[in-house]
This record gives sequence, structure tokens and C-alpha cells, in this order.
Amino acid sequence: MSKVMANKKYILLFVLPAFLIYLCFSLIPIIYNFIVSLYSTNLMSPGVFVGLKNYINLFTQDDIFWQALGNNILMVIGSLIAHMPLALLFANILFNKIKGTRFFQTVFFLPNVICGVAVGLMWSFMYNSQFGLVNEFLSLIGLGRFAQDWLANPKTAIFAIIVVVMWQYVGYHMIIQLAAMKNIPSSLYEAAEIDGASKWKQFTSITLPLIKNVLRIDAVLIITGSLKYYDLVAVMTGGGPNHATELMSTYMFYQGFRTLKYGYAAAIGVILLALCVLSLVISNIAFKSEEVQY
Amino acid sequence: MAVKSRSKTSLFLEYIIMIAFTILCLYPIIWLFINSFKTNKELFADPWGLPPSLSLKNYIDAFVEGNIGTYFVNSAFIAVCVLAFGILLSSMAAYAITRMKWKLSQLTLNIFLLGLMIPIYASIVPLFSIFNALKLLNTPWAVIIAQVAGSFPMAMFILTGFFSTIPADIEEAAVIDGCGILRIFFNIIMPISKSSIVTVGVIIFLATWNDLLLPQILLSDPAKMTLPVGLMAFQGQYTTNYVGMIAAVIVTIIPTVVVYMFLHNNIMEGMVAGAVKG
Repeated sequence: MSKVMANKKYILLFVLPAFLIYLCFSLIPIIYNFIVSLYSTNLMSPGVFVGLKNYINLFTQDDIFWQALGNNILMVIGSLIAHMPLALLFANILFNKIKGTRFFQTVFFLPNVICGVAVGLMWSFMYNSQFGLVNEFLSLIGLGRFAQDWLANPKTAIFAIIVVVMWQYVGYHMIIQLAAMKNIPSSLYEAAEIDGASKWKQFTSITLPLIKNVLRIDAVLIITGSLKYYDLVAVMTGGGPNHATELMSTYMFYQGFRTLKYGYAAAIGVILLALCVLSLVISNIAFKSEEVQY
Repeated sequence: MAVKSRSKTSLFLEYIIMIAFTILCLYPIIWLFINSFKTNKELFADPWGLPPSLSLKNYIDAFVEGNIGTYFVNSAFIAVCVLAFGILLSSMAAYAITRMKWKLSQLTLNIFLLGLMIPIYASIVPLFSIFNALKLLNTPWAVIIAQVAGSFPMAMFILTGFFSTIPADIEEAAVIDGCGILRIFFNIIMPISKSSIVTVGVIIFLATWNDLLLPQILLSDPAKMTLPVGLMAFQGQYTTNYVGMIAAVIVTIIPTVVVYMFLHNNIMEGMVAGAVKG
């Protein structure tokens, strides 16, 4: 049997195709990206080696880059504040078994499977100043004076987008946290019930600590997700008005594929990669995972 | 898990919260659907109400003038190819890593899993350059290859997880019966892995169908574009034909909603697989 299962020819046959494609079209491009970022090139004529000049320009001369970076950070913070508590709230409600749990789970997760472009367009209509439901709803509840062109106003645009991101992703985070909660043995809650602990105490003393590990992973997902955001912004505002909603992803797309400054764009890509890895490292330190024995 | 003591008011509040969010989730989609049957004038006059007549004009326009049919076919072709190659290649690799005996198996798996934390932005400029050199730019194959490569980390994660739970006796029995590896894999292992394969499949389908960035970068010819890119082009072309765009959006999301209705359990299970182990 072990001869069959250790047959080198077959092992290669099974693994090589996937590995080669992955190597050539996922891994090597990342290394190549580092290299391209050290050049100034439009990919049609030979590039000029500029060393770290792209990075230096990005950080010292490019205001739009800083705006984009700031927007990304704003999205990270906004997403963390908006998604985590809501997802926890919904997950906890469902965890405590109310009627229709399956229904709510299915409905809340639906926005997550819809194409980002479709979500973006859908919400562009919601935010439309002439027939959009957001403004109509506001006047319905008497807050009509707040009605405005949400996506065209540089002050409100990014927040309008954060709301849409929340719409799309809260269900996703809720499902993750609910799955983690289900791993907690019910005996703990029964014991707490007997001891007379209130539901809030049970939540803070049993549920929260025991899903800490998953919350950490979820936080990383939110952070890296916010850094990678592209579809929604590209469709809803294109980075405008006047770069108010510019993100590193949209800016990178613009620099590379519109103005053909591929070296510059590659540098932005490297920075994005560094930020993703950094958030992974930081979250590992911040949420020190302890193996809780129960 | 179930907390016995709950006041009626808190239960009521919880229901209100859940129902409110349900409405928030569903209403925009329903609103879109209703308004896809209106004309622009009717939309402006009465955004909330039902359409006065069920006119299919917007849908017809989307197909005839907006070329949605072409985009749909392109998206479908790419999705099918990515599914076929992605599932076949990743399941073969996952099988070899978990069930076959070789020294570098764990290292190989770790290399695949590394991809889980890499954003696509770190590789799109080179990908563009590579496909340009391969003369595959502006063909669906560039998108297909790139998507397949990108699908490996998650697919390997899920499949290796599942394959390692299969008891070894199955292969032992098969070998005793004289089966070779290929027979074992295709006739025995794959059929019993149906559920995991479906999960991987829906994740790949959704990622490919919904993707904007890769097709936008790798395809320039309007006739080759996929639905998300086409939708964006639509928005540029018909900025004020709101109801036309609404119909186009509905056409784009119908496949995902249908797939979701049938396979939502697999989808949810797959999407959170990376986050929650066990």
C-alpha cells in the first residue's frame, strides 16, 4: 500500500500543475512586483532604474497618496467600530436561540454574496439626491433637512461608503462569530444560570473571553478587507469627489492603468502588502491568544 | 446554550432589531427589482410605489443596447473554466498533500496557505506584464489563469481539512482490490468529498463571477468584458438612464442569488472556514 501512496510519479502529477500555476501566477508576481517598484516604467519601453525614488515620492510629495492612506485608515477604524459590535450583537441574539435563526442567518449573509459593483450601483441609487430612498426616508421621519447628495459631498462621501461596506459585511462577521460561539460548551452557561448570573454577565464572562481567538481573526479580516477595498469605491465615487474617497487600491489602479506609471503603482502595491502583513503581526501581539482549557 | 430566563420585553426588542436589519438587507434588492419595471419618469415620480405596468423594456434595452448578453456569456465562460480547472487541480494537489507520502508535503501546503494573507494588489502589475508577454492580454485565458491561481490558497485550506478526515482504511481496501492511484482518487475519494467540493466550488464561483479588478485590468475589448466590468461601463455610458442600469444590475445578481438560494449552507460554511477551525 505504501508503495502506491508514495509513487513519486503520481505525486508529481497531482501536485505539480497546481503548484506551478500558483508559483508562476501568484508567488513570482509578488517578487517581480518588488522589482518593478524600483523602476519607473510604462511597461512598453525599457524602464529606468530609480531605486527607492517611487517610495520617497509617495511619502514626501504625493498628497493624494496620503489622502488615500488616511481614507484607508479611516475605513479600517470605521469598519472595526461598525462591524464588530453589530456582528456580536446579532450573533449573540441568534446564539440565544430565537425563532427563525436559520432565516435571519441566510438573509443577513445575502448582501455578502452580491457582486461589489452591483452593491455599489444599488447604493448609488439609494443615495441619489433626487429619488434615492435615503433622502426620502429622512424626510419621512422628519429629518428632511439632512437630505443631500451624499456621494457628491466630500465631507459625507467616505462615511456613506462605510455604511455600505457595513451593509455588505456585517452578516459575514456575524456568521463567523456565531460559529465560534457554538463551540462553547453549554454546561458553562447552565452552571452560570444556576449561580444566578445575568445574561449580560454571561456574555461578558463566558462568551467574550472564549471567542477571543476568533475575534482576533475577525478583526484581522476586517482590517485587511478594509485595506483591500476596491469595487464599491470604484463604482460609487471613483475615488472622488476630488479624491475625498480615494483609496490606495483605486489610486494604484489609476496610477498604473490610467497614467501608465507602473513602477509607481507597484510601489503602492508593495505598501499595501506590507500593511496587510503588519496588521497580521500586530493583531497577533495585541490579542495574545491563550489556550483556554474548558 | 439556550438561556432559560428571558424577559418578554428583551425578547421583543431582539426581534425588532433582527427584523429591522432584515428589512435593511432585503429592501434595497426588492426596491431594485420593483423599479426595474418602471420608466425613468415613473421612477422620479414615485420611487416607493409599485410599477404601473410590468414593462420589460429596461431588460430588453439592457440586452440589445447595453450588450448585457455578451457580458453574461463572457462571465459564464470564465466562471466555468475557473471552476473546472480550479477544482480539479486543487483537489488533486490537496489529495497528494494529505494522503500521499512524501517529505515536502507540509512545506508545500504552507506555501499554498501563505497566499491567504496576500492581497491581489501585490501582484496585479506583474500579472499584467506577464500576460502581456504571453500575448494573453485581452483574452479570457488571462483572467481564467489568474483566478485559478488566486483560488488555490482557500481551496487547499478547505480540501486538505476535509481529506485528512477520511479514514485510511478506504485506500488500503482499494489498493488490496488492485486499484491504482487514479482510480482511487477519481472513483472513490472524489465522490465521498462531494460536500467539500461543492463548498470550494461556490466560493470559486462567487469570487470569479463577482470580481471586478482582474477583468478590468486584463481585458480591454468591450466584447470580451465580464458583467461587473460591463456594469461599470454601463454606468459611464447611460449615466441618467437609471432604470436601465437597474435592470442591468438585476441581470448581474440573479445568478448569484439563485446559487445562494440553493447552496447558502455551503457558501456560509465555506466563507467562514478560514476563520473558525473546528
